[in-house]
Amino acid sequence: MRHALLRLEPVIWLLFGAGIMLGTLLLPGYLLTVTLAAPLGLLPEAALDYDRARQLATNPLGSLVLLALIALPLWKGAHHLRSLWIDLVGASSEAAVATLLYLVALVGSLLGILAVVRL
Amino acid sequence: MASFAHPDAMRPSRPAPTRAAPPQLPEDFWTRPRMRRYLLFDATGLVYLLVGLVTLRVAWALADGPEAWQALLTSFAHPLYLAFHALVLLSAIFVGVRFFALFPKAQPARIGPLKPPPRPVIQAMLYGAWIALSVALLAILGGLWP
Repeated sequence: MRHALLRLEPVIWLLFGAGIMLGTLLLPGYLLTVTLAAPLGLLPEAALDYDRARQLATNPLGSLVLLALIALPLWKGAHHLRSLWIDLVGASSEAAVATLLYLVALVGSLLGILAVVRL
Repeated sequence: MASFAHPDAMRPSRPAPTRAAPPQLPEDFWTRPRMRRYLLFDATGLVYLLVGLVTLRVAWALADGPEAWQALLTSFAHPLYLAFHALVLLSAIFVGVRFFALFPKAQPARIGPLKPPPRPVIQAMLYGAWIALSVALLAILGGLWP
């Protein structure tokens, strides 16, 4: 398992780096509108009604942004939690924990692709 | 196509006579501000992992139809969801500020024939992109444009 993780390290780091960079660049705009302003009723009613939201998400660029907002934070989160585990608990059990975390990120990413394709 | 090198290809067959002590977390790490910030940076991983899963739910609800979408927006008005998303926003800002300070220092001295721009320029570009993307998303998702 440890060897497999070491061999996959470049791919994991690529997704982790993209998660920190792109995930962080995209999150504030998304959070402020979809998850905070819309539920609090601070947006015009038509801004995120179903038809407009679907139209935005099915636009090729919109689909990519939506997928990035799903997958990249998952990889950033998985890799940083692995690092936190090593710091706080130790390296002896980290291969199993890392495998579990990366599996969550992988399955979440695949489901994200499926969700975007279903739109 | 050449395969990946074995990860332990360069490992010596026997341990060297002197080795560095294994890394160990000091017992008083909570009292050390730099270590606290470092661990907090790692701990944002939990928030990012959870928001990735919640955003997956957003895409799923959008694919499921108008009723599922409306139910999702209604559930987001719950105080726990609002508090969670406010925490994610704070985490994203914390990660951005720390990472954008670190990123220029991590650039190689040269990339082929090119030298990277000076650090303040790289940092200004990162903050510029952050502000531009946030404003664009606010305008598009907020219904102001197009």
